[in-house]
Amino acid sequence: MTAILSIVRKEMRSYFNSPIAYIVIVFFLVFTAVWLFYVAQFVAQDIASLRAYFGIMPIVFIGLIPALTMRSWAEESKLGTDEILLTLPYRESELVLGKFFGAYGLLLLVLLLTVFVPFSVTPLGNFERGEIFGEYLGIALLGAAGTAIGLFVSSIARNQISAFILSAVGLLFLTLVGQVNAIIDLPTWLASLINYVSLQYHVGSFIRGVIDTRDLVYFLVITVLFLYLNVKTLVFRKWS
Amino acid sequence: MIEATALMKYYGQVRAVHDVSFSVDKGEIVGLLGPNGAGKTTILKILTGYHYPTAGVAMVNGYDVSANPVAVKSCIGYLPENAPLYDDLTVREYLDFIADARKLTGHDRVNAITRVLKLCGLETQIDRPIDQLSKGFRQRVGLAQAILHDPDILILDEPTTGLDPNQIQEIRRLIRTLGSDKTVILSTHILQEVEAMCDRVLILNDGEIAASGTTEEIGRELKGEKVFTVRIAGGSLSDGARQALEGVGHLVTEPIGPKLRIALAEGRGGEDLFRWAVDNGLIIGALIPERYSLEDIFTSLTAAGTTGAAEEALP
Repeated sequence: MTAILSIVRKEMRSYFNSPIAYIVIVFFLVFTAVWLFYVAQFVAQDIASLRAYFGIMPIVFIGLIPALTMRSWAEESKLGTDEILLTLPYRESELVLGKFFGAYGLLLLVLLLTVFVPFSVTPLGNFERGEIFGEYLGIALLGAAGTAIGLFVSSIARNQISAFILSAVGLLFLTLVGQVNAIIDLPTWLASLINYVSLQYHVGSFIRGVIDTRDLVYFLVITVLFLYLNVKTLVFRKWS
Repeated sequence: MIEATALMKYYGQVRAVHDVSFSVDKGEIVGLLGPNGAGKTTILKILTGYHYPTAGVAMVNGYDVSANPVAVKSCIGYLPENAPLYDDLTVREYLDFIADARKLTGHDRVNAITRVLKLCGLETQIDRPIDQLSKGFRQRVGLAQAILHDPDILILDEPTTGLDPNQIQEIRRLIRTLGSDKTVILSTHILQEVEAMCDRVLILNDGEIAASGTTEEIGRELKGEKVFTVRIAGGSLSDGARQALEGVGHLVTEPIGPKLRIALAEGRGGEDLFRWAVDNGLIIGALIPERYSLEDIFTSLTAAGTTGAAEEALP
């Protein structure tokens, strides 16, 4: 546990010593707020729901999560610092979890900073507390799965730019693949398969305020699967 | 302390290390010497658990590196080639992280950090971001990182590359100091480095050990006897003169015209050759020392081609 925390602390310091953390925080807060009040016309709509606010977050994550995770492994191996990290007395699983909670911690911090929006608008109308909670939970779970995917991509990429592009394309695909069903009529089995892999589909019910264990399990499985693959990549590299 | 048996490492199809066995005892400073690409770094990466060997076993402090990497990593300090560092941290933050990773707490932690800062001369740089440090300071930060937990074993990959002559002297002195109570393996392609720092040398070429021994042994073997090429300007080499040569040295090859190649006996010098020449009515026109330097040995051992060809290449 202390081993994982030591890496989390180091990752956090790296984020906050470079502009990246501040850019990510400001970009996310400003973009989502502008979206809510100007594009989605929250005030004019006169509906006591923050669906528009949380609904845009998965789309923002497509660019935001790769920006957080692209450096984590790719930059280490490019600068050679992975030789330090991998020869310190850590287990591979500790390294991966440390990296994960470092990046995910920053993402949760960003989400925490968004609470000002719900806090400031809830007095205006009859908002459902449960719905907002479900929305936060869904976005947090989506963030975990996305971070795990981004980290894994970073571990197989040669440099941070390709890590960024690869994971952004991956997240874009997984987020928007569900739209296919809205455009064309596919056989039911294919449609439900597409829905099953789609991140957007699973986060959708959370955003409507429904907490379904199947969606919960989906996000946890994706997160654990990619963290596991990440560990395997590290071990595999030692043998290759 | 370190025991490598039949180590083998392939990167895909590329052979990096082939059948390398050696052992290092406690308290020794051993140098891995070889041209670039000879497999020095690969061997060090195997010993530190960064890579696992394709075949063979590396034992460090009684632990098999591939079976028990965490135990091995706990007892070694490693300075990788070019001293990679986290550029976006300050020296203090970096050493803090290493102290965390090494599970140093409380007094031990404070003492360890103070000790390495002093030892590596980094007190004035403590709050500077690493990416603003000069090459020399970077190398010292790398070394500070390696010795923070006072490891029994130090593994240093080309610890002096990219440093200026003064810095090289400093780092060598530092390594010498550390080596008095630690086992040190270092790699280098600079011969003087081995002579300056190491008790024992392994010369690597093309992934294999080409020669090994103490610095003196290799030096003696490599330098060989003192040989002079002597050109006789007057007189001729009589049988008497030949006999008188006993005790001073001996002819390496039969003389070709006025040119003699004479190997001196132990403890004899060029002046003895002059005395011998005068005593025997010979006039020396030229006296050219012919010596195998460590450099010659190194070149001949590691030059492209087979060992046989290499032997012929010796002067």
